[in-house]
Amino acid sequence: MKVFITDGTAEAFYTAVFVAYAEKGAIITSQENRQLSFDTEIINISADAKKAGRVRARLDKLDRYAAGDIDLALRSGDSLKEQAAFEYIKLIVQNGRAVRKMLSLPAVIELNDIIHRVKSELHNMKGFMRFMETESGALYAPYSPDNDITDLIAPHFKARLGMQKFVIHDVKRKKAALCDGKEWFMAEVGEAEIYLSEYERTFENLWKKYYSSVNIKERPHEKQMKGYMPVRYWKFLPEKNSPTE
Amino acid sequence: MLDATTLQILTESAKYDVSCSSSGSKRANTADGLGNASVGGICHSFTPDGRCISLLKILMSNECVYDCEYCPNRRSADVRRAHISPDEICELTINFYKRNYIEGLFLSSAVSGTPDKTMELLTETVIKLRKQYNFNGYIHLKGIPHADSALAMKAAKYVDRMSYNIELPSEKSLKLLAPQKTKDSLITPMKKLQTAIVYDRENKVKKGKVLPAGQTTQMIVGASPESDGQILRLTEYLYRHMDLKRVYYSSYIPVVESPLLPATPTGLLREHRLYQADWLIRFYGFDVNEICGEGENLSTEYDPKCAWALRNMHLFPVEINKAPLEMLLRVPGIGAKSAYKIIEARRFAALDFDNLAKMRIVLKRARHFITCKGRFYGSEGGALKAALLIDEKSRTDEQLSLFSTPSVALSALTGEL
Repeated sequence: MKVFITDGTAEAFYTAVFVAYAEKGAIITSQENRQLSFDTEIINISADAKKAGRVRARLDKLDRYAAGDIDLALRSGDSLKEQAAFEYIKLIVQNGRAVRKMLSLPAVIELNDIIHRVKSELHNMKGFMRFMETESGALYAPYSPDNDITDLIAPHFKARLGMQKFVIHDVKRKKAALCDGKEWFMAEVGEAEIYLSEYERTFENLWKKYYSSVNIKERPHEKQMKGYMPVRYWKFLPEKNSPTE
Repeated sequence: MLDATTLQILTESAKYDVSCSSSGSKRANTADGLGNASVGGICHSFTPDGRCISLLKILMSNECVYDCEYCPNRRSADVRRAHISPDEICELTINFYKRNYIEGLFLSSAVSGTPDKTMELLTETVIKLRKQYNFNGYIHLKGIPHADSALAMKAAKYVDRMSYNIELPSEKSLKLLAPQKTKDSLITPMKKLQTAIVYDRENKVKKGKVLPAGQTTQMIVGASPESDGQILRLTEYLYRHMDLKRVYYSSYIPVVESPLLPATPTGLLREHRLYQADWLIRFYGFDVNEICGEGENLSTEYDPKCAWALRNMHLFPVEINKAPLEMLLRVPGIGAKSAYKIIEARRFAALDFDNLAKMRIVLKRARHFITCKGRFYGSEGGALKAALLIDEKSRTDEQLSLFSTPSVALSALTGEL
């Protein structure tokens, strides 16, 4: 069995598809530490614009929306994302057309599930993102999403925050969307040093007060709360950290 | 700046209002403004009672001149009173919104002074928030009965949604339990707003639309003797003839001792069944007569769709590979998403039972009402009813356990108008 390992980029993935397509039982992954059986042959793939371009051209011809689906899927934190995308491409080629709506086929179900999880985190984070006001008046939001969605979520906040300067920082992937009040762009950001504005704690405490007051104590249903708002996101939510000061 | 205690009092007075939705509006941001509205709505947090926080839901004041029998803020109640100014509300909204704590503001008030004075202050606040603070996020404003409807019309130009709470499902009960509110004081402004909404819709007004997210209302169930059939007929009227977006129900619980009110709480199951029936009327195109007779109550044993299917077994089972969309939507357990998946998938290949399971169509109830490639996988007759009952029991237990304590009852109270 051959395992093709990519660096996680889309270009390397499409290159791997080009190389692996004719191989029987080939696996594509960006996870180097996956368990290997003794008869596994490892092939490291480095991005090749020409090979990737050929796969993309073929794919775009058969289904011009497929690359968009795959772009979403490759942002997933799921370790099987490349393989799912690979199977999906094979299915499109076999059928010679879009397979998006063949909703009973396992490869379609699998890719749709991965995309669904990326999209739903994107939606959830529009609600769960928390900004702090810094001394300079800029807003800073650290977070750690399961999927690589920062450049997808930035336009949402740009539209809302207007001329406000803001930073959305994916602390896990060490990247951030930075907005100077006019344009936003992506940058690599490791650690950020933040000085809070004078009123930041006041509003944070008012928010915590609001959160505890609006709850109906007599009707506890923590299970539902945790279902809608998973515990792994709480780290960045002031209302779920430390009691009101 | 606003102090924490005031915020607490005015939040606790507002929290029993059921509505928290921030959907239905796609208001855009302005050049130098803050905020926009997201048409699907966004939840920003969840409280330990499992409810979502979308809007900053507060009363401007809980000092009320009315004495509604069921309300904890009624004039004669012994509770802490507080109020906040328009500027304090605006500052709090802006600062919460900027930090992405909230999607917008849900502003209401007790009737403080006169209805006109109260409505004027509410209107002044939302106009200030839009014009002076340049806020373009979501605003839901509660209407004050008996206030000059010109004030409501003025406010409606600036907010996304308004609601007048009908409170009690008949005029007779309203007279008995909330004598200062009359049916006319609620319905008249709702109709005026409806006319304005319809005008904008028919003239395809794009900018400065009145109430882009429409109107909603809320009623207490079980404080008065109306049957589910009556309540649902009123609901259907509100949807079909007054263009309401949502009708909310809250089941009654005695918090206030009164000879006019029942001493026992209404089960939460009743509220739950009404929501299920409401959904069938609003979304699935059911006619109220198919669901519940006028003087009747909904079945407690089965959900309304299941009860309807059991009364209409001559229509089942339906073949999953052939049934039209309308019929798929009437199969118990199959909702809009599942119906869509089936319709799309079967265009490419005939579906068997295993396919449906892999597509994550919930088959626990549906299997008794469908065939796949002609094969039936369910039970019939007495065995069918037994199977459905067992399933229903496990579902409602799970859903209602959260409401099991009597003090939940508080949900009967809206804490405001």
